[in-house]
Amino acid sequence: MVDEKNNQNQRQNQRKADDDMINLVDNLNRSEDLRFNRRAFLKSAVGASLTLGIATLPFSIKAMMDDREEDSEKVEIGKLSELPKGESLEFHYPTDSEPALLVHTKNGELKAYNNKCTHLQCPVFYEKKEEVLLCPCHRGFFNVDSGQPMAGPPQRELPKILLEVKGDVVYAVGREVRHG
Amino acid sequence: MGKKICWVAILCSIFLNVVMLQWTIEAFFGKEFEHVYMYTIIAIASSFIALLFYGKWRKLDKHERA
Repeated sequence: MVDEKNNQNQRQNQRKADDDMINLVDNLNRSEDLRFNRRAFLKSAVGASLTLGIATLPFSIKAMMDDREEDSEKVEIGKLSELPKGESLEFHYPTDSEPALLVHTKNGELKAYNNKCTHLQCPVFYEKKEEVLLCPCHRGFFNVDSGQPMAGPPQRELPKILLEVKGDVVYAVGREVRHG
Repeated sequence: MGKKICWVAILCSIFLNVVMLQWTIEAFFGKEFEHVYMYTIIAIASSFIALLFYGKWRKLDKHERA
């Protein structure tokens, strides 16, 4: 049945053109070829779906590992008297690999955030003049009061560091990610 | 169940897994670990469903060719 159809197709090709170059298609089994292509495409699609599904696994494994070592350590940042209004101080919290910024705003409030930009991890600086946190790499702006992105490419807020002031000393006591 | 349904299911699973992967990464960097686990479970389940539908499609295709 299939062979008959193929022969018919070949005859059709010959009828349409006698040119030798065009008749080279005679050695192709068109229906087989199509079926093979379709099957190969479907196989690739299933492979892609599997790959994408499995690609989410490492994140879960890493999340499980991170979950166990939750951080709520109390770390001394510095003395409040040494940080006048409108100034900022860099420190690291909760680990040495995570830079953070303590800001003493013009209003006298203390705000602290991890200062790796949530776009491409560039360091974020406090802009005293405009009272914003600025990522100079791609001009991303964050609100100093909430850590929320205001302009530029960043989409997520900066992780907020919880503070405690005892006497003249400022401590970091915890971290909130995706706050507000 | 026709072959078309298998195609639709497999293509839907790719689309779902692309979205799940993106959401997983977002949730991971946002430290929303519960969401990370949930999205991974959905993505793995969707992959498994795609595999099942592929098996079904192959069976139908073989039957059709015989």
